[in-house]
Amino acid sequence: MPPFFKYKKQKGHTDQSKDTRDSENHHVPELIDPSLSVNLDIIKQKTGHSSDIIVRTIITGNTPLHKASVVYVDGLVDTQAINDSLIEPLQTNHDLLEMLYQQDELDKFTKEFISLGSVHPVTNWDELFLTLMSGDTIILIDGSNKAWSASAKGGERRSIQEPSTQVSVRGSKESFTESIGTNIAMVRRIISNPDLWIESMKIGNVTRTDVSIMYINGIAKTEVVDEVRKRLKRINIDSILESGYIEQLIEDQTITPFPTIFTTERPDITAGNLLEGRVAIFVNGSPDALLAPALFIGFFQAVEDYYSRYDIATATRFIRVLAFFISLIGPAAYIAITTFHQEMIPTQLLIIVAAQRDSVPFPAFVEAIIMEIAFEILREAGIRMPKVIGSTISIVGALVIGQGAIQAGIVSPATVIVVAITAIANFATPSYTVAISARLIRFLFMISAAVFGFYGIILGFIMLVVHLVSLRSFGVPYMTPLAPFIPKNIGDTIIRTPLWAEKLRPRLISSTDNPVREGENQKPTPPKSRGMKKKNTR
Amino acid sequence: MEKAKISAYQLFVLIVLFELGSALLIPLALDAKQDAWLTILLGMVGGFFLFLVNYRLFHYYPDILPTEYMQKIVGKSFGKLLAFLYILYFMYMTARVVRDFGEMLVTSAYPQTPLFIINALFLLVIIYTIRKGIEVVARTGELLFFILFLLGISGNILIVISGIVDLNNLQPVLEEGIMPVLKTTFTQTLYIPFGEAVVFAMILPYLNQSKKGKRTGVYALGFSGLALTLVVAINISVLGVNLTTRSQFPLLSTIQAIQLDNFLERLDVYFMLTLILGGFFKIGLYFYVAITGIANLFNFKEPSKLAYPMGIVILILSITIASNYAEHISEGTRFISLPIFLPFQVIIPVSLLIIAFFKHKKKRGK
Repeated sequence: MPPFFKYKKQKGHTDQSKDTRDSENHHVPELIDPSLSVNLDIIKQKTGHSSDIIVRTIITGNTPLHKASVVYVDGLVDTQAINDSLIEPLQTNHDLLEMLYQQDELDKFTKEFISLGSVHPVTNWDELFLTLMSGDTIILIDGSNKAWSASAKGGERRSIQEPSTQVSVRGSKESFTESIGTNIAMVRRIISNPDLWIESMKIGNVTRTDVSIMYINGIAKTEVVDEVRKRLKRINIDSILESGYIEQLIEDQTITPFPTIFTTERPDITAGNLLEGRVAIFVNGSPDALLAPALFIGFFQAVEDYYSRYDIATATRFIRVLAFFISLIGPAAYIAITTFHQEMIPTQLLIIVAAQRDSVPFPAFVEAIIMEIAFEILREAGIRMPKVIGSTISIVGALVIGQGAIQAGIVSPATVIVVAITAIANFATPSYTVAISARLIRFLFMISAAVFGFYGIILGFIMLVVHLVSLRSFGVPYMTPLAPFIPKNIGDTIIRTPLWAEKLRPRLISSTDNPVREGENQKPTPPKSRGMKKKNTR
Repeated sequence: MEKAKISAYQLFVLIVLFELGSALLIPLALDAKQDAWLTILLGMVGGFFLFLVNYRLFHYYPDILPTEYMQKIVGKSFGKLLAFLYILYFMYMTARVVRDFGEMLVTSAYPQTPLFIINALFLLVIIYTIRKGIEVVARTGELLFFILFLLGISGNILIVISGIVDLNNLQPVLEEGIMPVLKTTFTQTLYIPFGEAVVFAMILPYLNQSKKGKRTGVYALGFSGLALTLVVAINISVLGVNLTTRSQFPLLSTIQAIQLDNFLERLDVYFMLTLILGGFFKIGLYFYVAITGIANLFNFKEPSKLAYPMGIVILILSITIASNYAEHISEGTRFISLPIFLPFQVIIPVSLLIIAFFKHKKKRGK
């Protein structure tokens, strides 16, 4: 049969074929042998005699026949803890051990000797290797067909540092690290509630990366949690190196420049979103947690908005949205006005701009595109450049490109101003992921403005809006609560109402059974005895 | 009929955007001279009546499109013919509105760009939208309605504070008696824009709370009627009857008259561009119902696939519909009211309702 048809046939029963593939991969669990030397041989063979697999064999009884081995991966474990709580007790208590051997009660062994936190028996090889490779220590005893896996994880890790991309003036200065355990603990420290639930799984057929989903039971929508779980279970890939892998494999729509999953490196943002009913996904090795479902407006909400006063927060949000628009259509509007709609500029300004552009040989579009591309190159170089030579880029950028281009008469000063404002406006968006999409779409707007002026921009704008409202993140429309319009949730969008006025959680995101998040009468009022009003109090 | 639902608020927004879409742009009801605003108010009342007729029909057949219930009311073959005529009507109207906006752009901003290109681009954006379904159209409406609303308010404030409003231009009221007003109402404003709401007979089945449909529709028609009355009154009071009658696009001329501090002037380009947003919804909805109608009538499973071929038909129709703008606009406001608007917006719905009423009475009698 030709392969084409084979493929087609399989397509009809994807679920079924996936199951069979899974069971093929998953070879029949081979049980652990009672003989220690056989077991050690298997371990060595399976790991290819890797030098970081440490096997320590100890004589545990009064006869040299009674042996035990401690197996761990160097660098993943806390060697000190293993020496103190595992190896030493085994070496010093020969008599007790001998008794256990004679009574044939090796199961008691863990209770008596190992003073580490979590110990559990392992009977098959798959599980043994999984725990060994994730940093657990394995204890094998001669004569027992059971192994014990003890958790003494350790090794070098980056310590908790200040956030580097989501900086805030006020608020906690912690950011996530690469270790999933630390990250989960950081959130747990903020939300001390048994309803904060965590589910863990391993994804990646080769890397076997730890992935955990976290949500607050009773606040998160069950359907969303189920959907997240389902999409994660569906992943069948060799490696998960960063949360970006997960993000790309579970998002709703792939053909869009806009992120439909929120990423954050701050525990307080994660906690705030969990409390609104979102689901967090942590990936081991990634300092960025994923939050779903994400809304477009969420990318404009900086964490500080909630810590500072509402009027100031509202004002800064207006600035951010304005900045986003400028970074989107700034150069496009400039091109449209100078090429098609000169009558829109006040006469005085028109004369100045015309005089500047008089000596420039290119049309406005070419000018703007030259400057934009130069700026994008500068920015990209600035990110990848070694820090030692970082100052070079500002000299080259400011002097050579900025001043030089104007003096050489290649671009007009007005263009440089527009491009510079656009560039700065782009950095005013709190979320890097959405700022980068504006960067991309800006070029489309510039092209449409060059061809059709403001008509092109308006048509582009309509298409952008249509695209945005058609997106969904885990079933929730992306532009909620603006479209579909939810008046009760409008308090936390472009404006931010005072905390005491935001009584309800976001409607489409959190569970509908439990929408109220604060009590009545939370508005603080001054004590009645104070002030000028004395009439009402008798 | 696609599986989608829109909320009452979304319906409200769509009706308002649809009604204001091109009515703000074109010279409307100027046969009644300075009483144009009065004819619009009267047209609005007529519009309520026509909407309620359509709503009543929807009430009898809440789950199916008009193209389908026509077949149930007047019999299969005649109903199909009627539905087909309606689809032609919707297509024709789509092309008309595309032409309206294309002409506006060519006249006021892009004199050297061919009409064909401008219409083609506009239709491309509309096709892109329509392919995403009515829910997306409705949500887009919610978002853009907000922008248009703010712009409308700021426009009114600017006109008032620049001191160009002269209310004397609106007098005398009823100079030649009530007859010219009534005549204009029944030949123009009843049909454009209020009777055009017959389109929403095709949208009503998507409403998630069908009981709210009546109220929402009446409110939306009332809101857009009042807004339109205000705009027409302002146009006449700023420009005077003579200038308004002669202007191709009265609203743009009014905006052009704004002059503040030598800085805020020539704002008409901004307003022209935002009017495009309104036009987008008018064309979009006409186009959408035309496509859903075809899909429904001919049992086509995927209406979105019709968007491109239909778009080309509309594009060609919009170019060939009239040889120039003057012809186009006088066709629209004078010649097609009686042969096209009257039957499609008034006679057919009303007679359908009467037949349906008796049919239901008979059924209930049994």
